[in-house]
Amino acid sequence: MCLLRKSSIGYIILLLKIMGMNLKFAGKSLSLSLFFIISTLLFPLALFSQDTNSDSTANVSSHETSHEDLIRGERLFYGLVYQGDKSVNCASCHNTRFVDSLNWNPNAHDISVKYKDKTIKDLTTVLMRPRSEKMAQSHKNFDLSETDILMLKAYMDEFAVKGLKPEKAIINRLIIFIIITLLVLVSLADITVIKKFKYKWVHLIILLGGGIYITDALVKEGLAIGRSEGYSPDQPIKFSHKIHAGQNGTDCLYCHSSAETSKSAGIPSTGVCMNCHLIVRNGSRSGAFEIAKVIEAYEKGEAIDWIRIHNLPDHAYFNHSQHVGVAGLSCQECHGPVEEMDRVTQIADLSMGWCINCHRDKEVSFHDNKFYEVYRDKMELMKKGEIDSVTVEMVGGTECMKCHY
Amino acid sequence: MKNYYNSIEEFNNVPGQEEEKFEKEHKSAVLELFEDDIAKKPSSRRDFLKVFGFSVTSAAVLASCEKPIHKAIPYVIQPEEIVPGKALHYASSYFDGHEYASILVKTRDGRPIKIEGNTLSVFNGKGTSARVQASVLSLYDDARLKAPLSGNSPISWDLADREIINSLADINNSGGEIVLLTSSIISPSTKRLIAEFGAGFTNFRWVQYDAVSYSAILEANQQVFGKKVIPDFRFDKANTIVSFNADFLGSWLAPVHFISSYTSRRKLDEGQNDMLRHIHFESGMSLTGSNADQRIPIRPSREKIILANLYNKIADALGKEVFDVPECDLDIEGVVAELLGNKGKSVVVSGTNDTSIQLIVNAINLLLGNYETCVDLDNPLNLANGTDAAMEDLLKDLSAEKVSALILYNVNPAYDFHSSEAFVAALSAIKLSVNMSTEFNETVGLCKFECPVHHYLESWSDAEITPGQLSLTQPCIHPIFDTRSFQDSLLTWSGVQTSWHEYLKNSWKENYFPLSKQSGFEAFWTGSLKDGVYAYSGEKLKSPEIQYGSIAAALESVDPGQEEGFEVLFYPSVSLGNGKHSNNPWLMELPDPVAKLCWDNVAAISPMDAEELGILTGDVVKLGENFSIPAFVQPGQAKGTLSIALGYGHSQAGKVADKVGVNVYPFAKFIGGNRKMGFSISQIEKSIDKVELALTQTHHSMEGRAIVRETSLSKYLKDPASGNELHAKHESNHQTLYPDVKYDGFHWGLGIDLNSCVGCSACVIACQAENNIPVVGKSEVQKRRIMHWIKIDRYYSDSPQQPMVVFQPLMCQHCDNAPCENVCPVSATNHSSEGLNQMSYNRCIGTKYCINNCPYKVRRFNWYRYTNNKAFDFNAVSDLGKMVLNPDVTVRERGVVEKCTFCAQRIQETKLAAKLEGRAVADGDVQPACVQSCPSNALIFGNMNDKESKVSKMKADPRNYHLLEELHTLPSVGYLTKVRNVEE
Repeated sequence: MCLLRKSSIGYIILLLKIMGMNLKFAGKSLSLSLFFIISTLLFPLALFSQDTNSDSTANVSSHETSHEDLIRGERLFYGLVYQGDKSVNCASCHNTRFVDSLNWNPNAHDISVKYKDKTIKDLTTVLMRPRSEKMAQSHKNFDLSETDILMLKAYMDEFAVKGLKPEKAIINRLIIFIIITLLVLVSLADITVIKKFKYKWVHLIILLGGGIYITDALVKEGLAIGRSEGYSPDQPIKFSHKIHAGQNGTDCLYCHSSAETSKSAGIPSTGVCMNCHLIVRNGSRSGAFEIAKVIEAYEKGEAIDWIRIHNLPDHAYFNHSQHVGVAGLSCQECHGPVEEMDRVTQIADLSMGWCINCHRDKEVSFHDNKFYEVYRDKMELMKKGEIDSVTVEMVGGTECMKCHY
Repeated sequence: MKNYYNSIEEFNNVPGQEEEKFEKEHKSAVLELFEDDIAKKPSSRRDFLKVFGFSVTSAAVLASCEKPIHKAIPYVIQPEEIVPGKALHYASSYFDGHEYASILVKTRDGRPIKIEGNTLSVFNGKGTSARVQASVLSLYDDARLKAPLSGNSPISWDLADREIINSLADINNSGGEIVLLTSSIISPSTKRLIAEFGAGFTNFRWVQYDAVSYSAILEANQQVFGKKVIPDFRFDKANTIVSFNADFLGSWLAPVHFISSYTSRRKLDEGQNDMLRHIHFESGMSLTGSNADQRIPIRPSREKIILANLYNKIADALGKEVFDVPECDLDIEGVVAELLGNKGKSVVVSGTNDTSIQLIVNAINLLLGNYETCVDLDNPLNLANGTDAAMEDLLKDLSAEKVSALILYNVNPAYDFHSSEAFVAALSAIKLSVNMSTEFNETVGLCKFECPVHHYLESWSDAEITPGQLSLTQPCIHPIFDTRSFQDSLLTWSGVQTSWHEYLKNSWKENYFPLSKQSGFEAFWTGSLKDGVYAYSGEKLKSPEIQYGSIAAALESVDPGQEEGFEVLFYPSVSLGNGKHSNNPWLMELPDPVAKLCWDNVAAISPMDAEELGILTGDVVKLGENFSIPAFVQPGQAKGTLSIALGYGHSQAGKVADKVGVNVYPFAKFIGGNRKMGFSISQIEKSIDKVELALTQTHHSMEGRAIVRETSLSKYLKDPASGNELHAKHESNHQTLYPDVKYDGFHWGLGIDLNSCVGCSACVIACQAENNIPVVGKSEVQKRRIMHWIKIDRYYSDSPQQPMVVFQPLMCQHCDNAPCENVCPVSATNHSSEGLNQMSYNRCIGTKYCINNCPYKVRRFNWYRYTNNKAFDFNAVSDLGKMVLNPDVTVRERGVVEKCTFCAQRIQETKLAAKLEGRAVADGDVQPACVQSCPSNALIFGNMNDKESKVSKMKADPRNYHLLEELHTLPSVGYLTKVRNVEE
């Protein structure tokens, strides 16, 4: 039975993995519901299917260390071994799962990878006598025996291979959706086939209410397809705009230097990071761990694979220099208060309606730029006082081929 | 009005290949998108439900898939000059061994994506040819050799070098001969390097070989003037051009250079009211012949007797010595009078590779005193240096196993040499053979070593096109494959440690920097690199005494030529040239400007012969053993002649070129010291086979309405609006119930001068490169689905025996009262406040109503997805091929309509640049791709609201008219009537 349980949980995890992204930033996605319906249907199948792989994959590195060591290492990591005052829960600071919120401490996978090829001595030093100020504070009064550290290392080595566990699913809205859908189905079945339930008005309520709810959910989710308002993925380095742009007051254009002159605002090259981080090696929040990633990438000459947040479809042409350089818009008008964000979140939905609405209202700086002198009729009307301003739309800013070509 | 026709079938009013097929197709066209067996089955409501259910389910599943994670990967250290999202232009030079152009290379994010002409170049200016435009795609050719090979197995450069160096040393010690066989080399630094390389060996020979040879001109000038050069023909200084089989506007020598000087004397703007007169004798219907004021079809073998008679008549009139030559029945009195009236202001030119003919041409030009002005021997064209006899000698020595080492560079004798079989056989016996080629071709794999060289966009080089006119080639991308430049290989093999880049710099430092009188070399070097060109005035070679002996000999031995049988003539086509770039899908799908044929070569036959022999277009004819080729009835083809394009019939060049058409190079012959591109046969055999050709001439036809307007020079001088009387009439009829639309700010317009357009088709490829236009392949072209946004229409008038031709570029007319716009049910096509007819692909649902309602037939429909589709594996399937895409232009999906946008992306880019600088957009700032590439400035683009702009002036010209203006569509494109320099 244990085996069966394992395989079915594995099945669900697999499903969730497939769902990955949706689950992560749109935990209530309709699409998920579709998959869930399918998965509930397939669930019994999974229960009775033979699973031959689960055990063979479980112990990856069991050759060097015994299974007991691993179990004990895991319990140590989660702070489950009672050691009186001395007990520590590593997992409370170092995530073992993907999380939706920001955790400044490096996650369990990151540290496992970092110390995989290092010795027990290195690990002992960093655990018991860390050099960085921030770590020294959090690792204060650590008292782990040599065997404990050995077992921890064994567990971490295994973790480095396995990677983070998937996020715990938040499925409240989804459950409601499924329940309502099932209710509607049951009531439909009762009306047409079963015909057992006496109080017909209940069906009316269920069908009406359910219908409204389902339609509402469909419309909302349908509109959200291809849009990712609120998208806030974990970046490979926990770079905080709040610290850099907010607290330190770095100008946006210092890093995104081509926003005024080019189509693309530009992601700063690692070399630009090093302008400051040649000196600044310790972060106030993340200690030395995150900054070390930048330095390492720079020294190795490797690029940093940032995750792009603001994505426009390929058929839409957007040029930063038009908006920042010519129109003089502030970055925040589209990107929101980035200087207050630790992890950047997409504020606007970047839909065409959102673009057009702005183009309808925004005024063009008609008198400051000689370019606009070509619009003689509008200049004339302004002189006469018939119009007091010219919007982007009036100079053709809502026409198809201004953005699509 | 003249009667214009598109094809001989239209002239004879019989159904052509197109119409016949259309009749057939009409019945089963509905389900053509499905496989045949599906189409045959009747579809029912249940089928519909099945398909519907499946699509809904798949849509749901697709929507629930993971959202793709996009990465934003910055540089580690960003190069100073690179700004992401901004294009960088590098000045460079194009030379493929045959054609030269000084160019600008547009790169985006480190990828070259577009070629433009270099305006600083006095040689070609902003103009380019179709081949130059398409060369950027050859860079991303999957077929290219990716690493050095020894035999067929990969080898490292180090190992290959060691073996080659040892082998060369062995051969040199034993006194064996080392031969370097290259295409024409016009790089002075490379020439120096080759001299140094050769000096390292006791027995070294350098042979230059051209697939299409100009050997006879070199030979004739050597004999008469003591200079082995090809003169520059200054058509801009000439009043009369008499040309014999020289397709100088299409593919002969330097077409772009010639087009700009030729059309500068054919324009009638800015007060110019005289035109040069162009008389053309030729067999096949060439691009140049189509532009002539008077075109006389002749048999190629009759060229010499006509020229000799021409000489005699002129000599007679000038009181010079007359030779005893057979009489010629052709009336050439008019030509004689024309030439005599323009002594010193005329050009006689022949494209035939026959020394005696070239000698007579020289004699005539000497008589007329043309060498003082129009035929420039002091500033010769440094193209085509190969002499045919040298190559023959080499073949003899190779066959006799006298050569121990053969190094090939940029040549493909296994394909384009007439004795290719003997050459290939001789190769295997050679001790050391090395092939250096950029392209994958028939010669690859025949040598002991393959040392692939960079594409020109990856390499350093220089060029001296005429003495004193230098230009540089610089790399615009890091080498994509493990290749090495030819020069670097030579340096390595001669044991020199410096790189070719250093060598080139030193060469300029020693030879040209002292002439520049600049203080620092680095400033001189970067300045020259930035400009791409550098001019100096070198010492002129003193001309020895003119030798008349050989001329007399040539004139004394004139045979009357052939009267019976057929003469077959080969010519390099405008699209594929000599066949070096046949694997380029853009060029392969570029319709020949005259025949309007792509994806095949044919034997063009005269309408008279075709009628006599009962041959129709598409019938396969036999021209000898193992030589079958489809016939094509070509109006204007001389009776008794057949013309066949070179460059087709590759067996090993890549997926596009292989097995397309017939290779006719093996039928060339070495006669009288020159390679003759052609042969004679007594009769043609018609076989029962028939093939369907990919002809675009009747695609998107305007159904024979008055779309071409023309007049003669004399009539034009009397009344500038002559031939264009309809314009005034239609203008007076324009009435509308609607209020006039006023365009505030910009109102974009395009003016096209039919007098300047020679039909070279550079704009077609420029547009294709700029706008990500897909290649659709032969079978789709046959279904009239070619996607080109701009096409050059060709109309014949007068008799099919001696037709007159008009070329007319046609693209979306951007009508201010556009018929397409008001039939679109989803408003996917609508009008902008700048007068553009906009097309929004994402709104388009593919009803094709707009295509039906467009009177100009300029809209194209995406019948398939042409990108990432294995069925269209030309260049848009592999990652490499897609690197050429312009990131500013959407790649269209299946099921949407597309068309010319006036390069909206360029308009927006220019406007934005002006806004950022706080200035007005100047006239000429915006140049759509077609306008920029045009060597003859036939297309002018600008703001029609600005009354001072060039395009406004063009629109105000009395010659201006619009296509189908009686329909009141108010097009933004205007045409200027064609004026011919003929007596009427």
